[in-house]
Amino acid sequence: MPVPEYPSGTVRALLNTAHVSEATRAALQARLDAPATYAPQLLAPETYALLEAVAARLFPQPDRADEPIPLAPAVDQRLAEGRADGWRYDALPPDREAYRLGLGGIQEIAQAMFQADFIGLKAVQQDAVLRTLADGHPPGATWATLDAGRFFEELLAELTETYYAHPLAQEEIGYVGMADLPAWTKIGLNEKEDREVAMGE
Amino acid sequence: MPDEEVLEEGVLNPVKPEIQDPLLRALLADEPAATAPVAADTPQEKPQAIAPEADAVDCVVIGLGAGGAPLLARLAMAGLKVVALEAGPWHNPEKDFATDEKAQDFLFWNDERLAAGHDPLAMGKNNSGTGVGGSTLHYTAYTPRPLPDDLHLQRDFGKGEDWPLSYEELEPYYEEIEQFLGISGPTPYPWGPARRKGYPLAPLPLNSAAQLMVRGAEKLGIRTSPAANAALSARYYQEGIGWREACTNRGFCQAGCSNGAKASMDVTFIPLAVKHGADIRPNSFVTEIERDARGHITGVVYTQNGERKRQRCRHLFLCGGSVETPRLLLLNELALTSGQVGRNLMAHPGLQVWGTFADEVRPNKGIPGGLISQDTHRPQDADFAGGYLLQSIGVMPVTFAGQVARGRKLWGQPLRDYMRQYNHIAGINILGDCLPHADNFMELAEEKDARGLPKPRLHFTAQENEQRMNAHAEKIMRGIWEAAGATDIWAFQRYAHVIGTARMGRSGDDAVVDAKGRAFDVPNLYISDNSTFPSALSVNPALTIMALSLRTADKFLEQQQRRDA
Repeated sequence: MPVPEYPSGTVRALLNTAHVSEATRAALQARLDAPATYAPQLLAPETYALLEAVAARLFPQPDRADEPIPLAPAVDQRLAEGRADGWRYDALPPDREAYRLGLGGIQEIAQAMFQADFIGLKAVQQDAVLRTLADGHPPGATWATLDAGRFFEELLAELTETYYAHPLAQEEIGYVGMADLPAWTKIGLNEKEDREVAMGE
Repeated sequence: MPDEEVLEEGVLNPVKPEIQDPLLRALLADEPAATAPVAADTPQEKPQAIAPEADAVDCVVIGLGAGGAPLLARLAMAGLKVVALEAGPWHNPEKDFATDEKAQDFLFWNDERLAAGHDPLAMGKNNSGTGVGGSTLHYTAYTPRPLPDDLHLQRDFGKGEDWPLSYEELEPYYEEIEQFLGISGPTPYPWGPARRKGYPLAPLPLNSAAQLMVRGAEKLGIRTSPAANAALSARYYQEGIGWREACTNRGFCQAGCSNGAKASMDVTFIPLAVKHGADIRPNSFVTEIERDARGHITGVVYTQNGERKRQRCRHLFLCGGSVETPRLLLLNELALTSGQVGRNLMAHPGLQVWGTFADEVRPNKGIPGGLISQDTHRPQDADFAGGYLLQSIGVMPVTFAGQVARGRKLWGQPLRDYMRQYNHIAGINILGDCLPHADNFMELAEEKDARGLPKPRLHFTAQENEQRMNAHAEKIMRGIWEAAGATDIWAFQRYAHVIGTARMGRSGDDAVVDAKGRAFDVPNLYISDNSTFPSALSVNPALTIMALSLRTADKFLEQQQRRDA
């Protein structure tokens, strides 16, 4: 089926209605209001810049060129606070080490493939680097000890969950589940409440 | 259920908490028991020679999920002095729970566990909870009963383990819990033996995924039924608790129910326990279990809000789940003589199949597991032992996106494009049995956590039986989705609940606890959670954990009664 397009502004319009609980509104508004600039707390500035560049290819946002949904800050914040999500692949080292090693390893792939830093590459070259990483057998000394497939999976999953937790990403997919008060009564096939967004033309 | 029992304003539940055990019933009624046997058969339980210290309580319960909360209520109702130690906080769901997956991360056991083996188990939000209510705070509330032969894999297939108790012994507890929690489900239930009582409430309405599964399954001749879910399809009154409101179809069960419609322990057994005097201590993480020279437990040491405390007790009920329970036993070198602590780790095959439909699905709405089929419980053409159930599934966006990333390995524009179809996506999954295997176990790693304690490491590799079951199930689910009109069908390999790391059995030679949940090695230690399951069962574990919990409490009280007689 064709890719559905949903009108923008829908979630933001619902946030201040009685359909959204206080706790829900607070969580979503905080993400909307996050400052555009972020100073990394844990990763070194060049490592953080690399993470941003990688995130920009895993989630290209040409439609939000001026204000992309920020993805790297959530990773740096989590690593700085030492938070975990309850588990880790035994094949990978602790998260801080895995990110430092893995991002360094991405530089190694870029050097091996294009003899240049990842950040300096064209988008299509950066994608080629990431595809080589995702395929699980990239060049570079790092990947002799770090499981490339698992590292890529963890990196992609964290960025993905950060992206789709953002109200603008939720608008993009036509999701308005946060506006669940007082109840959903139309829950069957092809049923929707007035406050649910219809696909655009 | 008969229509006349459904009142306009909700349902007044006339059912009193039923006590199955006649001795306990007599105890509660403060009547002399008719047939209290003599104490001769239980030498370990003779009154202690040393008078217990002044601050000792009758029972300490560690963990307030499906294993700890029911027995806590039962023990409190019997008049015992009970203290419950829960590692996580006590929430106010109505005020604190957001309809937002990320904001609800606090519900999960987020201390890191190491996942090893060929099929490493995702933990955290996949299967582990913390807080007063434990994992029931985020369970999907899917509460089918096991079928009787689930407890006899060894008898029927020559593989796995039989349970040391029968379905008939659990049946009255299933009935009691279904009535008490207000489970919504079909009456009569299409699979398994006839039941004395139907579900107290009509099934919850079918959401889109459930309707699509009906459409596909009908074409293939697979029977389906609205599922049993521990969420209220109408207001429900429970003695000792009061009114609970009906489900509003938020679809956020796995991120916490904000209106009390879902029967998590914090709105059911825990208020009942509190009403009968139970002392609940949240944010209390137990590290040490203390013993006397005979090896009997005398108390526990725990940390609450940074302060180390001791609570003495006459009996300990360990209900921390299949990771923290064996971890505490291993850390304290307790109940280890069978060699089975940490062994026999099982995880339910939970293969999911997703598809895109021309219809609008909006998969965030409605009870996620609306539909069930147990036609695949013992498939005719199976090349594996045991079987599985089929379930339609709703899904929240962040959870789904994470699975797409991990399972489909999409990234960049293709990932964004695929996710734009979210409102047209529906899924089915299985919940299948799992056999214990020597390669699958939990151990303490060298690596330490923030508390300075060794992290648990879980080894899991799906063996031939699980692989064959997954292959069988994937074929059936793809068939259902094709018949229902899905395109772009893909499968996501997943393993759910961790089970079986302190199993029950008939002898201390190969089991940690007996059928009552009592440790063979330590007479005043009981274990009540899914670690004691000898086999995984082909259904979600919560209902059976609760049933065993009440049964353990009743058997314990019976033994106390004998001792006092």
